[in-house]
Amino acid sequence: MYKWFFAWRYLHTKLIALFGVASVTLCVAMVLVVLSVMGGFLDTLRERSRGLHSEIVVESGSIQGFPYYQQFEAYLNKHLPNVIKTTTPAIYSYGIVRVRATAYTRPCRVLGIRLSDYIQVNEFGNGLHYEGFYPGTTKLGAQGMPLAGFNETNRLALPPDHEQASAVWRKKQSDLAAIDEYDARPFETAPFPKELAVTSGGSRVFSMHFESPRYEGPERYGVIIGSDLLFDRLSGGRFDRYLARGANISLTLMPLSQTGSPTGEPPVKLPLRYVDDSHTGIFEIDDLCIYVDFDMVQHKLGMDPQPRVDGGTTAARTNQLLISLQPGVGLYESKAGITDAWNEFILEIDRNLSAADAQSLSFVKVHTWEDLQRPFINAVEKEKVLVTFLFALISIVAIVLLGCIFYMIVEKKTRDIGTLKALGASSGGVASIFISYALVVGISGSVLGTLVGSLFVWNINGIQDFLASLNPQLRVWSPEVYSFDKIPEVVKTADAIWVASIAVVASVIGSFIPAALAGRVWPVQALRYE
Amino acid sequence: MLLRARNIFKTYAMGRTEVPVLRNASVSAEKGEFLVILGASGSGKSTLLHILGALDTPDRGTVEFDGESVTLLPAARRNHYRNQKIGFVFQFYHLLPEFTVLENVMMPRMISQSVISWITTRRKARRDAQALLERVGLADRVLHRPKELSGGERQRVAIARALVNRPAILLADEPTGNLDSKIGEEILRLLVSFSDEGQTIVMVTHDLQLASHAHRRLLLEDGALREYRESRPSTHFAAKEVAP
Repeated sequence: MYKWFFAWRYLHTKLIALFGVASVTLCVAMVLVVLSVMGGFLDTLRERSRGLHSEIVVESGSIQGFPYYQQFEAYLNKHLPNVIKTTTPAIYSYGIVRVRATAYTRPCRVLGIRLSDYIQVNEFGNGLHYEGFYPGTTKLGAQGMPLAGFNETNRLALPPDHEQASAVWRKKQSDLAAIDEYDARPFETAPFPKELAVTSGGSRVFSMHFESPRYEGPERYGVIIGSDLLFDRLSGGRFDRYLARGANISLTLMPLSQTGSPTGEPPVKLPLRYVDDSHTGIFEIDDLCIYVDFDMVQHKLGMDPQPRVDGGTTAARTNQLLISLQPGVGLYESKAGITDAWNEFILEIDRNLSAADAQSLSFVKVHTWEDLQRPFINAVEKEKVLVTFLFALISIVAIVLLGCIFYMIVEKKTRDIGTLKALGASSGGVASIFISYALVVGISGSVLGTLVGSLFVWNINGIQDFLASLNPQLRVWSPEVYSFDKIPEVVKTADAIWVASIAVVASVIGSFIPAALAGRVWPVQALRYE
Repeated sequence: MLLRARNIFKTYAMGRTEVPVLRNASVSAEKGEFLVILGASGSGKSTLLHILGALDTPDRGTVEFDGESVTLLPAARRNHYRNQKIGFVFQFYHLLPEFTVLENVMMPRMISQSVISWITTRRKARRDAQALLERVGLADRVLHRPKELSGGERQRVAIARALVNRPAILLADEPTGNLDSKIGEEILRLLVSFSDEGQTIVMVTHDLQLASHAHRRLLLEDGALREYRESRPSTHFAAKEVAP
């Protein structure tokens, strides 16, 4: 009984014990923060990677793409109907994007997609800004610029399809705060008045005039722009959208022939309309990518069927075929099945292939989304293990510190230990006072450390924003470096339990030597002098 | 015979030199006896007391309690012996500073209990400790810490602590050595009162005046014990150049 009594009393009467608790607290908090941030980083990476791609991607490593993708889609739908849910092609190329109002240019990666299919094979649709507030209005086809104006009741309004879409959003919106936020700043003015007087609130930017709402200007193909490509980040995850929806954008592309050489034609210049922006949460994507209509870009890049010198036509090409799977179908079994199907498909069409087609098809591989991200995920996994190990190693210092603290207590308490032995305490009993004490210190420190670490992780973005408001140099998480715009802020219960348990065990281990020394104190020597 | 030590030898090593402290010392105490062992400072009185209390072991010789050899007891039973059969009172009190007066007195009881048995017996332990503190005149100081007490009060707490398990023998090592004469007298009177109630007490001191209350007095000289006869004019023994 006296062991626990001593442990408890020492804990709250000895200042030095608080140093022990503090060291355990800091170590637990430190390791938990590292584990949570790195683990969260890894989980977010996995989650976002999954959302970026489809489950299966058939792709050519070469930028000029591969032919016969439509035939392969049909082949898959015919032979693997229980595996394939949706297929959609995607083209990727590189170009230069230009904002016409400001003549601002950026290099970009151009993705040609069929939007309605593309949002079914991945989570691209969830990151579209205007689509969230005006569902169904983000389209990549030819369209005019939606202009806000005054309707028949003299109220400021957008064109009818936008107003109807907005009504749908409002009806579905269970979070009234979102509507309040939407309505909060209805008439803010943007910096480029010719094209961009702002209506409809906050970051939802439209051009307006003093006539009835309508679409204006020549019809142009739409472009979805990565959120970081043109816009600056504001606090709270907002962006400074200085472009009105429907603003004019130019895209310059360099077509390649099937053999990968420039076609000799001048670069293709495409006038487009900014219809939405995409926020995947992965900085490299959002800072680089724009999305345009698949068929339009396929045509402009010369990847659609082209006349051949022998009188025939070449097959249309794509860079990727994105495949989503039926629910409950295994990822890797499907990959194997689709790979087999591809090999069979190639054999079937082999007799009719030109040398260039055969060459293009030889580059094609079937991947899962995990395959595509594996090098990056593996690297982050290793980094997580390494960083956690390093911090755990630093935590060993705390164990040594705890050992020193207990040693000092034992040294200081030698006479009391002698007294206890004179009163009948055994050596083991005396040693267990210090082990119990370490246990109490370890448990207290672990509970506090878990609390401190969890609070830190839960508020880590707010803490960083606060520090950055004091001094911008204190912003340590850069989305350019870490891919994601926010620091992960989830603490896993299992991680917390592991870290806390190890800290308790380590604390007890740290007390072994001082406890053994305490047990070996010779009472006669300890009691001899005052 | 309640306690008997026979032919005790004890030598301390001081560097390379061996200093014999006890040389064939024999002593016994009857139940209820108040025995005083006199001797100069450094004559080996405390060493003898530690051996009697199983805090230390002799190089040779035996200590028997109630006919059973204490020196041959295994460690666990020696601990039990110190906890249940012996009560120690030290010159410098040796109270535990983090604990209250009441907790100090309850400590020997606590040492002998597991957590479970303590839950069932702590009320009685508290009552017994409070009764003893009342007996030594400190009923109003139970919640004080040792540092808040005077030297005499601390020694009275130490006496209460030594007696809380109702030990067969109280071993007192210079209990007044750190107190002024008036307070020392009070402590002595307290010990005498316990002795009058049948408590066996073995006290070592170099103060001849304190020894006057004892039933029997022994003199430890040259490592051996003999009956003390009052032939010396001094009230104190001079310190000798011997090991403690």
